[in-house]
Amino acid sequence: MSAEKKEYLLVDENGQGKPDKPWIFRTYAGHTNAKASNELYRKNLSKGQTGLSIAFDLPTQCGYSSDHEVSRPEIGKVGVPINSLEDFRILFDQIPIEEMNTSMTINGTSMWLLSLYVALAEERGVPLEKLNGTTQNDLIKEYLARGTYIYPPKESMKIIVDMYEYSLHKIPKWNPSNICSYHLQEAGATPVQELSFALATAIAVLDAIKERNCFTAEEFEQCVGRISFFVNAGIRFVEEMCKMRAFTEMWQEITTERYAVKNAKYRVFRYGVQVNSLGLTEEQPENNAWRILIESLGVTLSRNARCRALQLPAWNEALSLPRPWDQQWSLRLQQVLAYETDLLEYPDIFEGSKVIESKVKALKEEAKLEIQKIIDMGGALVAIENGYMKSQLVKSQTERLSKINSNELVIVGKNKWTDGIKSPLMTDSDGGIFKVDPKSAEQTLNVLGEAKSRRDVAVAKKSLEDLKKAAKEGKNLMPFSIACAKALVTTGEWADALREVYGEYNPPTGVDGQKLFLSDDKVSTVRGKVEAFTKANGHRPKIVVGKPGLDGHSNGAEMIAVSAKHSGFDVIYSGIRLSPEEIVQSAVEENANVIGLSILSGSHKEIVKQLFDELAHYKAKIPVVIGGIIPESDFDELKKMGIREIFTPKDYDLMSIMEKIIDIVSVEPALV
Amino acid sequence: MIDTKESLSQLVSDAIIGEKYPIAKIISKIETEKNLEFRESLFHELSIQNPDAKEGLTIGITGTPGAGKSSLLGELCKLFLEFAPNKKMAIVAIDPSSNVSGGSILGDRTRVTLPRRDPRLYFRSQPSQLELGGLNPYTFHVIRFLRRIFDYVFVETVGIGQNEISVSLISDLSFLVMQPLGGDQVQFMKSGIMEVPEAFIINKCDEESLANSSYYMLESTLEFIKDILPDQSLPPIFKTSVTKRKGIEELLRYILQYQKRKDKNTETLTQLTQWVRNEYGRWGISIWEELESSKWNQAVKRNPLGGIQKLKYEEEERKIVSLIQTKIK
Repeated sequence: MSAEKKEYLLVDENGQGKPDKPWIFRTYAGHTNAKASNELYRKNLSKGQTGLSIAFDLPTQCGYSSDHEVSRPEIGKVGVPINSLEDFRILFDQIPIEEMNTSMTINGTSMWLLSLYVALAEERGVPLEKLNGTTQNDLIKEYLARGTYIYPPKESMKIIVDMYEYSLHKIPKWNPSNICSYHLQEAGATPVQELSFALATAIAVLDAIKERNCFTAEEFEQCVGRISFFVNAGIRFVEEMCKMRAFTEMWQEITTERYAVKNAKYRVFRYGVQVNSLGLTEEQPENNAWRILIESLGVTLSRNARCRALQLPAWNEALSLPRPWDQQWSLRLQQVLAYETDLLEYPDIFEGSKVIESKVKALKEEAKLEIQKIIDMGGALVAIENGYMKSQLVKSQTERLSKINSNELVIVGKNKWTDGIKSPLMTDSDGGIFKVDPKSAEQTLNVLGEAKSRRDVAVAKKSLEDLKKAAKEGKNLMPFSIACAKALVTTGEWADALREVYGEYNPPTGVDGQKLFLSDDKVSTVRGKVEAFTKANGHRPKIVVGKPGLDGHSNGAEMIAVSAKHSGFDVIYSGIRLSPEEIVQSAVEENANVIGLSILSGSHKEIVKQLFDELAHYKAKIPVVIGGIIPESDFDELKKMGIREIFTPKDYDLMSIMEKIIDIVSVEPALV
Repeated sequence: MIDTKESLSQLVSDAIIGEKYPIAKIISKIETEKNLEFRESLFHELSIQNPDAKEGLTIGITGTPGAGKSSLLGELCKLFLEFAPNKKMAIVAIDPSSNVSGGSILGDRTRVTLPRRDPRLYFRSQPSQLELGGLNPYTFHVIRFLRRIFDYVFVETVGIGQNEISVSLISDLSFLVMQPLGGDQVQFMKSGIMEVPEAFIINKCDEESLANSSYYMLESTLEFIKDILPDQSLPPIFKTSVTKRKGIEELLRYILQYQKRKDKNTETLTQLTQWVRNEYGRWGISIWEELESSKWNQAVKRNPLGGIQKLKYEEEERKIVSLIQTKIK
């Protein structure tokens, strides 16, 4: 048969049908401690997973060892804790790292984690050229959406460039950074914002590399080729597919026009995807299974914009951490899609579609204007530091929430068709959710303590001094970090050494000047109550919105801050990673009428206790409400501790939340 | 409830020893509308419990948005704790944000990183309740109160024009904060602001040459308007950088060694005049001028030695209110 007749099928050079290779199947995983995570990885790999995606716990991400006081409530909760090389030895036990494609979702401490990986490879005698994978190491995500940054943007960029320089020469198959627009969509970004902010960030990275001038022209091309992206796929899957096609085309244009990359291989837009978690609902969580499937289609249907790697959330992620079974179910979905369907047999099935082409064109045009705006401003770093990008995201998010509140945006099971039979998936003895055993932290601490006692203190100390000196002198920090890794330096020690030199970053919150687009009866009811309060007390109600702990998911706190202002409150919101001491200090000094906490990391019980202890220190009786991913089974205990009201993702109606809060504040006897 | 005499005296004695929650509660009460009665009892109680209290120095810090006032204050706080181990300071930050709902987001606290649990520092935000910056209607009384407890009271406002720099009228020492080469000085000169502050700060001097050129530009602008400066000498100019941690120590030393205090009678009178004008307009002022005590106070003001007796703000306010009420009848 001639090749022409099979135009609709993918063929090899001999005209034989040859489907595409599937993307890499990953599950974003890690919890409890290195040992438990190692077991989980080995199980997942045996089930047909083809790559590793490591989730680190918050202390590891923020550069604290497990024995630091802020780490305590968070050890092993949202990922695996890594304190030193010893934990990596355990984590990768019996896993051939030379055969793996390992993705590490880590930013502020990415250089440190890569150094540990290199040290492990050298210890095992694995040639570094064989190491394959990605350290996320992204700026926009950190500063705008996820909040696990440590150092100021400029210094973080310097670290990224160091890693490019080192990797290209020593670990050529490693992606030292990954432009991660994923979290932007989680923070409310529109497709145009996702396109423009991600590409502007990639431009900032490449410009910084160019400025260092450490590569030959050919090496620089290779370096462009190493840039990879991590993208979100949302529920509006046709638009999302167009977004991916726009990404691909725009990257081609940028690499050709701005960087004159000649080799076509290095101009390819390479990306991995995790489908959107934001749209997953706590209400009728079984519906999330369908959402995840539909969202996957956006990034797999279109051959010209098909992802290189995919990881799917679990149906119950809006409730808690997924159980191994839930992860397995998500993996099976990918396997069905890739191996049972005929998806991979065809060339691009949307080529020539007028709808798709014109939508892609429109997205590209808007994104180009936005990129130009950012470049005119001085580039992505400036747009992060001056708060521009953050305020744009908070704006999109408030618009999105306003639409959900006014039912303009339909979410099945949440604001429409809310009555239903309870899911039998939730009736298992564990209630359908996963909880980390609080005792497991001890194991991590034991490994840490042992590693510290076993190491040569003088060598560890010297390697840290060398690292600081190198940082002050502006040298490439990779070799010094690897030396630290080998000397069994801890995560906290490494990060502290650089904190000393670079300082810690405190970014704009993005909530100044934001407005909600809500003006219905509910708003007037709430405003009426606020006015009544003001009249009775002579001043407006004051709320301190607090985001304690290391969890940087600040969207909820930002929305509450904006909604409270919309309702007529005076709002104090100071951003993320505050200690309970700081939050209480604000509330006391400002004589706040209420404290609203936002906690998503699962550490609510520990943090709430610390907060009430601190209130007792000032003899202050200020009502406290809390919002976040909080399982119902914890409600009683929290209320016993003194929490007045608990809000979960079910409570999406901002004005209902505000009404409950103003009611609480209004019944309090006037404090003055 | 602090409307009863006993608990007010408890609250005041706790506030005097520096307990933050009582201080915070008293401020909320001062910030409450129609608080004349409360103020009278408060200041009366304060003078009974702490008759020999020194008055803290008030430092006004104003400047355009983005000049980095809050971050600068944050650094000042940290150094203050180190350099003035036996002194206490309070900050009142007035935030211009407000919207249709009347609500506000008070963001200044975000930009000042404060040490935790330090009893020597107290930070309080205030919405300006106006579209632009400037003073909150209650700022003056909050400062009067804080001065009785703290050695230094910093007031931060956003200054854009003449109306917004009234902070200098109620401060002993006021600073105008600018950005290097911001072109601010020309604008400020036009609006007559250059004569008002006691000192200038060019902040964000992260780069030496830019800092120096801005310094010389400001200096020459000031020389140009020297004739109208009261004591004919140029006010000091500080160059500061928070990121480079430069110049802040000099600034703090200047503040700590500052001796000259404004006459509190004049200050009280200024504030009272402003209040009367706000409440009753020029008509109110004219009525007030008929008031005997006012003439007496004018005389005190003209007396170079200052007043024989401090002007009692609340007493004056009460007199005006009753006078005006009789006029209305």
